Amino acid sequence: MSGPVNAPDLSEATRAALRRHVLSLADSKRILGLRYSDWLLGAPSIETGIAASSMAQDEWGHARLLYAMLKDFGEDPTGVEHDRPAECYASVPALDEPFADWAAFVAAMVVVDGALATALEGFAGGRYEPAQSRVPKMLAEEAFHRDLGLAWLRRLRDGSDEARARIAAALEAVLPATLAWLAPGDAAFQALVEAELTAPGADLAARFQAVYGEALRAGGVEIPEPDFTGWDEARGRGAGAPSDEVVERARGDRNRALLVE
Amino acid sequence: MKEAVFDVFARKERGDMLQHIGYVDAMDAELARVYAWKTYDEQNWFEMCVVPRAAIFPVNRTDGPFAGNATGRAPVQGGQP
Repeated sequence: MSGPVNAPDLSEATRAALRRHVLSLADSKRILGLRYSDWLLGAPSIETGIAASSMAQDEWGHARLLYAMLKDFGEDPTGVEHDRPAECYASVPALDEPFADWAAFVAAMVVVDGALATALEGFAGGRYEPAQSRVPKMLAEEAFHRDLGLAWLRRLRDGSDEARARIAAALEAVLPATLAWLAPGDAAFQALVEAELTAPGADLAARFQAVYGEALRAGGVEIPEPDFTGWDEARGRGAGAPSDEVVERARGDRNRALLVE
Repeated sequence: MKEAVFDVFARKERGDMLQHIGYVDAMDAELARVYAWKTYDEQNWFEMCVVPRAAIFPVNRTDGPFAGNATGRAPVQGGQP
């Protein structure tokens, strides 16, 4: 692998693909933080609520760092963070609607947060200098998200029949589109791989399988084929968009008058 | 699901003494270590450990948080007020 690069060093097409990648990671983390925050007071125990609160803050911190990478593209991240409509968000489709129950929260911890961490590992191992320098600290924090997700997955799958059924259904609901998001295989993603800015999709899928495959299978869930239905190449995700309500919170619409950058 | 108490110990710097900084309720050690790290995150700890309270045996007290594991032996002299 050659030395580190920054956005201005890249061709126009590769730079556009990299911007999509950064934005998709940042948007996913911002919306995931909000979805975690919905459960601060509804988690099964005080400790779990505190962990949800801490993870929400981690995700927002990671999102800020990722949005800030857009400066490398000559952009002011403020407009991207605070002025886009929902249909421009590139977040993982599994986060479009609130988590219906605790099983859905756990499924997101395992599958969505896991896919994000896997994508970040691939990104940190590539040639993009800002990713090399900023992502490792994120991954250190993500290790606790992974541990909490896997621990709760074990608790639910070893629990009652209802718990087992709910977690299996929640996992199966989010896996196909999230795996498509993780390893798109479209022209933009291939440009990133060819420029050595991230790991190949097959490697990312294998890493995800290595970390989560056994725990999922123990819960009766096989890792499915990715679902590319309605694939939106401009955003690097499947069809749809996060709900208006969560995007209003992500943008900080109600706090606009107090915005301090 | 039954939860147990895990006591949390941490040190700020290598070479510092481990200090008891609090406790968490958790269903197992794996959850306890995440809860502890996320609950007591106000410091940049060098090291943090969790210990199931059931593994802590009081030496000189028959009251307090660890009394549940008292062995019934006579307290060490000087341990009682």
